[in-house]
Amino acid sequence: MATYAEMAEMYEDIKSDFRFDHELNGCLNCGICTATCPSAQFYDYSPREIVQLLWTENVEQIYDAMQEKIWACAQCMTCAARCPFKNSPGGLVSIMREVAIKHGMQSAKDVLRPFGRVMLKLITTGNQLSADMIQPDHFPDWGPNIQKVEGDLKVLRKAIPVKTLQTTETAWEVSLKTSVEMYTIWEMTGVMKQLETMDENLFDVIVDFIEEKREDYEDWLEEHADEKNDD
Amino acid sequence: MTNPTNPTDEPRGIAGHGAFFQPTNLSPEEAERATDWVRKRVDRRTVDLGERMDDVREHMWELEKEGEIIVHRVTDAHEPRMVKTLFGWDKKIPTTRLWHHKSCGQCGNIPGYPTSLLWTMNGLGMAPGRDYLDETDQTSCTAWNYHGSGIGNVESLAAVFLRNFHQAYVSGKRLGHDAGYFFPLVHCGTSFGNYKEIRKYLIESAELRERVKKILAKLGRLVDGKIVIPEEVVHYSEWVHVMRKDIAAKLQKYDVSKMRVVVHMACHYSKMVHEDAIYDPEVLGGNRAATATGIAMALGAQVIDYSTWYDCCGFGFRHIISEREFTRSFTIDRKIKIAQVEAKADVMLTNDTGCVTTMDKNQWIGKAHEQQYSMPIMADIQFAALACGADPLKIVQLQWHASPCEDVVEKMGISWAESKKRFEEYLEQVKAGKIEYLYDPKLAMSMVA
Ligand code: SF4
Ligand code: SF4
Repeated sequence: MATYAEMAEMYEDIKSDFRFDHELNGCLNCGICTATCPSAQFYDYSPREIVQLLWTENVEQIYDAMQEKIWACAQCMTCAARCPFKNSPGGLVSIMREVAIKHGMQSAKDVLRPFGRVMLKLITTGNQLSADMIQPDHFPDWGPNIQKVEGDLKVLRKAIPVKTLQTTETAWEVSLKTSVEMYTIWEMTGVMKQLETMDENLFDVIVDFIEEKREDYEDWLEEHADEKNDD
Repeated sequence: MTNPTNPTDEPRGIAGHGAFFQPTNLSPEEAERATDWVRKRVDRRTVDLGERMDDVREHMWELEKEGEIIVHRVTDAHEPRMVKTLFGWDKKIPTTRLWHHKSCGQCGNIPGYPTSLLWTMNGLGMAPGRDYLDETDQTSCTAWNYHGSGIGNVESLAAVFLRNFHQAYVSGKRLGHDAGYFFPLVHCGTSFGNYKEIRKYLIESAELRERVKKILAKLGRLVDGKIVIPEEVVHYSEWVHVMRKDIAAKLQKYDVSKMRVVVHMACHYSKMVHEDAIYDPEVLGGNRAATATGIAMALGAQVIDYSTWYDCCGFGFRHIISEREFTRSFTIDRKIKIAQVEAKADVMLTNDTGCVTTMDKNQWIGKAHEQQYSMPIMADIQFAALACGADPLKIVQLQWHASPCEDVVEKMGISWAESKKRFEEYLEQVKAGKIEYLYDPKLAMSMVA
């Protein structure tokens, strides 16, 4: 349990995000956002509540909502399209999630654990999903019919008539240079730090992977330079 | 006085919120009356927020004048067509010289989505390398992850946006074209919504621009020391929309007039930066976002209304992976069941990655709860390609769909069994290295590494 001062600090972090004033302009308490919110139908969650807590600066309950409720939001932005005040409850939730991560909240760690595979894929390849992740044994609830033609995944992917899509470990073929550029973005924008706070093991795996890729790229550049010199 | 909803008067937080929510105990009729007006007015907004809403593109031109940014223009060479958006503003949709900004969810899971689009472009006589380009120098927008996990931030999303769009700007060079030749066409609804949101922030915040500029400089992705921002952010379904009559007139092969179609409009197409979505007076009286519905109408299908048309599909970004109970319950209850029972539809079309995935894959599990509903799910462009004679497996790649898309194929008068047989024979060819392509594979390689 956080102290009041810690909770107040989190609230300040939320408030000082430059999007905050953009996403919160007041609140009529009309409930239109909640009426159209898919998550409100299934969870103990209400975008109106989130907005009201922020609007009334209810520091303790904001902290409380960050434990679990904010993770119920489906980020569809239906609320944002409908709010007569031009608020974006879904956008406010995004800010609160970032702050929960920044402060290493245990709830955020728990919530994100099952998301690890997607994260690993995204951070290392720039694709969030790949053909080899959609295997029947990964999603038994999707039923037996998720592939209407039997066969080896590699062959089935080769039968897609677009060159960039003939991959299994990424959604499309991403050039090495592109991936290396993306690693620079992660490092320079604090994403690597976020990952370290949330899951150290995952972070270590990612760092190793990135180093390896960078070396591959350096090697490629050297080989390429040799070719040029040979000319 | 004792509080009637809390007789013990224990502190219970803010009354009426969250766990403390008290049921209203309204009768069904009263409840209906109470929410009726929301339902009536959900079509377009009652208050014309257009007057209060800034068109971010105006500030973009100012910034360019001040020498802050370069605007990647939609020029006459892109043969643009004009459309109207929610508040009646103009939007320019380029129809040629397009850089395919792929979607990871589509390419990884619904490959028939992009292949149908490329096939249609070829059919309209667009030449790969001249009229469009698909290449390996591209990352996803990374917004699926951001909306799912909160990992990432505005700065990382902005850097990814500017990196990818810079690549689009310079991509023509290796083929001998000028900078700005190819204009990005964004396949994914979430990428589309996210990029528009980020563009808005970039235009509004000098500080954000300064911060990402440092990153882009390090990547060598500035032009004359400036960031490149696109004049329009364009979704593939917008291209389909402005080309819908050409597609129907020039390519259509099968009659679909007996088919009952329902449309699920992607949230991140029409609700994120919603002022930029196309509203076309020719489609549903201009009351609802027009893409997807427009092409179904142009092909002559019967577009059927249904009560939950405005609802999200239940994807949830995180939920489809780690809270599947929510995703499947929502999609079955609010989409599949309604499409089948209320609209008696033959197929549900949509215009985004997550929606196809969610609704297509989360039907079978309903059996566990005696929810025996099923509905073929595909993208608007897959339906269009089928109607135009694209092979259901080789091109439209329906073999990756879990929902009964075979039924749609059969209803169009195409034999699924024969197509499948042909495809299985083709797989033997593939094994022997004889692969057929929609464009010369060499075009895809922006560099060898
Ligand atoms: S729709 Fe807007 S004004 Fe109404 S309760 Fe929600 S946030 Fe408040
Ligand atoms: S973005 Fe979140 S809060 Fe808003 S309607 Fe969607 S699920 Fe509800």
